[in-house]
Amino acid sequence: MNPRCRPADHLSRRALLKGALATTAGGVFMNWGDLFGSAAHAKDVAKEQKSCILIWLNGGASQFETFDMKVGRPTGGPLRPIQTNVVGAQICELMPKMAQQMDKVAVIRSMRTSQIDHPGGIHLMHTGYGPSANVRYPEIGAVCAKFLGREKPDLPNFIKISSNGDAGAGFLGPNYQPFGLDHDGRLPQFAVSNLDPKIEANRNELRNFAEDSFALDRKVEVAGMHREAYESVRRLQKTLKVFDIEQEWAKHRDLYGDTKIGKGCMLARRLVESGVAFVEVGQSGYDTHADNFAGHKGLVPPMDHAWAGLLTDLHQRGMLKNTLVVWMGEIGRTPSINNRSGRDHYVRAWTTVLAGARIKPGIVYGETDLDGKDVKDKPVTEGDFFATIYKSLGINPNKENFQGVRPIPLAPFGSNVVEDLLA
Amino acid sequence: MNRLLLSLLFVSLPLVPVRAADPPLRNCIDEQVKAAWAREKVKPAPLADDAEFLRRVHLDIIGIIPTYDEAKAFLDDQSPDKRAKLIDRLLEHPRYALHQADEWDQVLFGRNPPGYETQRRPTFQRWLQEQFAKNVPYDKWVADILKAEGTTVDDGPPWFLAQYDRQPEDAAEKITQTFLGVQLQCARCHDHPFEAWKQVDFYGVAAFLARLQVVQFDKKNNELKAMIGERNTGEVLFTGPAAQQTPGKKGEPIKPKFLQGEALAEPAPPKDLKEERSLPASKAPAKPYFSRKDKLAEWITAKDNPYFARAVANRVWAQFMGRGLVHPVDNMIAKNLTHPELLTACAQQLSAQNFDLKWYIRELCNSQTYQLSSTGEVEDARPTWFERARVRPLSAEELLESWRQATGYDAVAAKAPKPPQGRFHGVTWDYMVRFFGQPNNGTGNFQGGLQEHLYLNNGEVSRLIATDKGSLHQTLLDDKRPWEERVDQLYLSILTRPAKPAEKKKFAEYLSSGDKPAERLREAIWVLLTCSEFRFNH
Repeated sequence: MNPRCRPADHLSRRALLKGALATTAGGVFMNWGDLFGSAAHAKDVAKEQKSCILIWLNGGASQFETFDMKVGRPTGGPLRPIQTNVVGAQICELMPKMAQQMDKVAVIRSMRTSQIDHPGGIHLMHTGYGPSANVRYPEIGAVCAKFLGREKPDLPNFIKISSNGDAGAGFLGPNYQPFGLDHDGRLPQFAVSNLDPKIEANRNELRNFAEDSFALDRKVEVAGMHREAYESVRRLQKTLKVFDIEQEWAKHRDLYGDTKIGKGCMLARRLVESGVAFVEVGQSGYDTHADNFAGHKGLVPPMDHAWAGLLTDLHQRGMLKNTLVVWMGEIGRTPSINNRSGRDHYVRAWTTVLAGARIKPGIVYGETDLDGKDVKDKPVTEGDFFATIYKSLGINPNKENFQGVRPIPLAPFGSNVVEDLLA
Repeated sequence: MNRLLLSLLFVSLPLVPVRAADPPLRNCIDEQVKAAWAREKVKPAPLADDAEFLRRVHLDIIGIIPTYDEAKAFLDDQSPDKRAKLIDRLLEHPRYALHQADEWDQVLFGRNPPGYETQRRPTFQRWLQEQFAKNVPYDKWVADILKAEGTTVDDGPPWFLAQYDRQPEDAAEKITQTFLGVQLQCARCHDHPFEAWKQVDFYGVAAFLARLQVVQFDKKNNELKAMIGERNTGEVLFTGPAAQQTPGKKGEPIKPKFLQGEALAEPAPPKDLKEERSLPASKAPAKPYFSRKDKLAEWITAKDNPYFARAVANRVWAQFMGRGLVHPVDNMIAKNLTHPELLTACAQQLSAQNFDLKWYIRELCNSQTYQLSSTGEVEDARPTWFERARVRPLSAEELLESWRQATGYDAVAAKAPKPPQGRFHGVTWDYMVRFFGQPNNGTGNFQGGLQEHLYLNNGEVSRLIATDKGSLHQTLLDDKRPWEERVDQLYLSILTRPAKPAEKKKFAEYLSSGDKPAERLREAIWVLLTCSEFRFNH
C-alpha cells in the first residue's frame, strides 16, 4: 500500500500479515501464505515482533496488599509478607506464585500520578493523558496496534478481554479500535457471519466484481482502503478458531488456575502468539473502600496464579523477550485504613509492575516512606511510565500523532524514560 | 510566520457591495482554479456526466441519494440548464436545512462533545435547522450561539457553550478554531513555535469566557435544562510557560484582548460589587453589569473581522470541494494557502452578500470545478488543485437514509398502519454512529475499519432490504423484462446510474442462475449497498 516503504520493511510486514504460526501445542491455526516458502521463517519473523499484554486491575489494587508492604506500621494492615526468589524483595502472602516469578519482573514502588478518581484514572492509565475536552486521546492498545501491529492482519491488532476503558482508538481512527472479547473468547456482536457459506462465497464474488468495476476508472486510495477493510473481515472469518480455547484450556488449566482471569491470560498469550500486537485482560472489583483485606484475599490469589502462569508460559515459549507484560490499575489505595476496614483512592505513592521485552528483570525500583504515604525516592509519573513502556517496546515515546494539525506525542511532553528499568 | 505575513493573510475586507455588472462568483472560481492548473501543470478530469453530478449534488445539498424516479427524470431531461435548475430545486428542498444543520452540528459538537449532557441535543438541532430553513445569515446565527441566550429546553443557542462549563480555555480553543480558523491551542502552554501567537493572545481570548458557567435547573425528559450564566467577576490566571510550572504557583490575571487587536475597554465595576465565585444553581442567572461574552460575540462576527469571513468561506468551500483553499480548514496559515486570490474573492463576496450561505452554495455547485468528474489516476481523495472531484465517505446519516431510500424500505414503511417515527429507524442508530460516525484518522482522512465491515457483513443492513410490495426487491421480482433491463433499474435505484454492459451481463448471470432468484436478488442488492461506489460521494 505504502509506496515509500523499503523492500526490507515490506518483506517483514508482509510476512507477518500472512503469518502462519504453529503453536507449540501443535495445530497451525492461521492461514499461511507462501511468501517465503517456509513456515519456519515466518515464525522467526513473528517472534521478533514486539507485543504487549496488559493485566488491568479495575478499581485500583492496593499496593499494601501486593508489592509494597508496611509491616508493623499503622498503615500496614493484617497481611504478612513472604520471601521471593529475589533476595530482599518481599511481597504479600496472597501472591505465593508470583513470589517465584519475581526474578522476571520489575516492580515500581514510586508511582505518582495525577487522576484520583476512576473515570479520570482509567483514562489516564490507558492513554498517558488526563481527559480533555478537545482531544480524544488513543489508548495504549491503539498506539501499539498502530506502531507494532501487522499490516493487513488476520486478527485485529488491539484486543480487550473483559476490560475497562472507553477511550479506544480516539483520534487514531477505526482501524485501531479495540475488538472486545470475554474471558471465554466469546466474540463481540456482528463478528460472526450467519450466512450459508456458499451464498456468502457467491455474493463475495459479485462484490469483488462491483469493486473492480468502480476501480476501473478511479484510482482513489480510499476505495482501496474500504476494500481492504472488507477483506480483513473475510480473513477474520477464516481464523475464528483461534478464539476457541476449550481444547488448549484443558492442558493449561493448572498452569493458569481455573478462573476467569486465568482463562483470559491464556487467551491473551494465545492471541499474541498468533500475531496480535496488544491484548488487555481485565479483572474487576478492586475498589475496596470497605473490607479491603477480605476483598484482596478474594481477588489477588486467582490473579496471582494467572499472572504467574502467563509469565511462565511466555518464558517457556521464548516469547517473554518480545512481549511486555504490564500490571496496573488506575489508582493506588490510601495508607490509612478507614472505619470500614477499607482503603480509599490514592495516587501520591503507589505501585505498578512491568515484565518482559526490554524490562530489567528482578528489580524493585523506587521507594516509599516508612508508612507508604509518599515517594521517598525516584518518583515515576504517568508520563514517565508510558515513555518507559513505549521505549521497552521499541517505540519512540516522543513520536507524534496528529489530531487535526495538533501534534500529540505518544508520552506527554516532558516525560522521561526511566532508563534504570530497561536492560 | 511573522506578523507581516499574518497581516497579509488576513487582509481586512473592504465593504464593497456587489454590483450587478460583477461576474458571478462561479466564474471567478473556475478562472482561478484553471490558472492554478496551468501554473502547476496539472491535467484536470473531464466534466462529470449527468448521473455522477446528480448523485453528488443530491448528497451534498440534501444528504440523500435521489430516488429512481428522480434519477430517471433528470437523466431524460434534455434542457441545457437542467443542472442549474436542479441546484435551485435542491436548495429549496425541505431536506436542505436538515442536511446543512447535520453538517454544522458536527462542526460545532462532533460525535463526542465534551460534557456528557450535550451528547443528546434535539433542541439545538431543531433550532439550527430553522436557521437554515429561514436562511438566517451565518454571522447572525453564530452571534446567537456565542451570546447563548435562553434556556436549553426552549432555545438552541445556549447549547454550544454548555459544552464548556467553567472551561474558558477549552471554549477559547474551540471558538477560535471553528469561527476564525486559527489554532491558538499551542499557545495555551507555550508561545507558538511557528506562528505569531503568544500565550497572552490565547489567555486574552479565554478571558472573555472566564466568567461563564452552566447554571443547571433540572432535567426535562432526560434533556439538560440550563442557562449560560455570566458572573460579574472572575479572571483567567496566566502562570507562564507550562514547562516552568511549579505546584502552587499563583498566576497573573489576564484582561480580555481581541486577537491581534486592542484590549477590551471595560467600564468600571459598580462600587458595591462583591466577588462572585459561583452563580446559585436552580435560579435563572442575572445579567452581569457588563458582558464580556457579548463583546466577544460582536467582535468575532463583525463585518470587518479579518478572520471570520475567510474562515467560513473556506470551511463551506471544503464541505463541497473536499479540502479548503487553506487546508486544513481550522489552521488558516499562509503556507497552507493554495489559492490566495480565490479565497479573498470568496470571502469578500460572501461578506458582501451578508453571509448568505445558500447563495454561496449555489455559486459553488454551479462552478465547473465542482462539476468535474472524480475519475482519473489521482489517488488522493482530496486533490490539492481541485483537478478532479473529491471522494468523501457518506456520513452515518447519509448512509442510513440513502440505504432506506434505495431499497424502497421507506416507501414500504410509509404505507404501514403505524409508520415509523423519527429519522433514524430501521437499524440501531447507536451502531451506525459507532461504526460510521467518525471514519477518519484524526486528520480528516478516511480510514477503513474492520468493525464497519463486520456490521455491513453480519449486522443489520440486510434488514433494510425490504421485500414487501413496493420495495425495490419485489418490484424487480415481479417485473417480467429480461434481467439485463431489470439490472439497469437496480443500478439506477442504488448507484444512481445506468449499468454498463459488462455489469448487466454479470448481474443478469448471477440473478438467473440457481433456483432461488429472490435470495440472489437480495444478495445483489446487498452488494451494491455495501460497495465502495455507494460508501463514498464521488
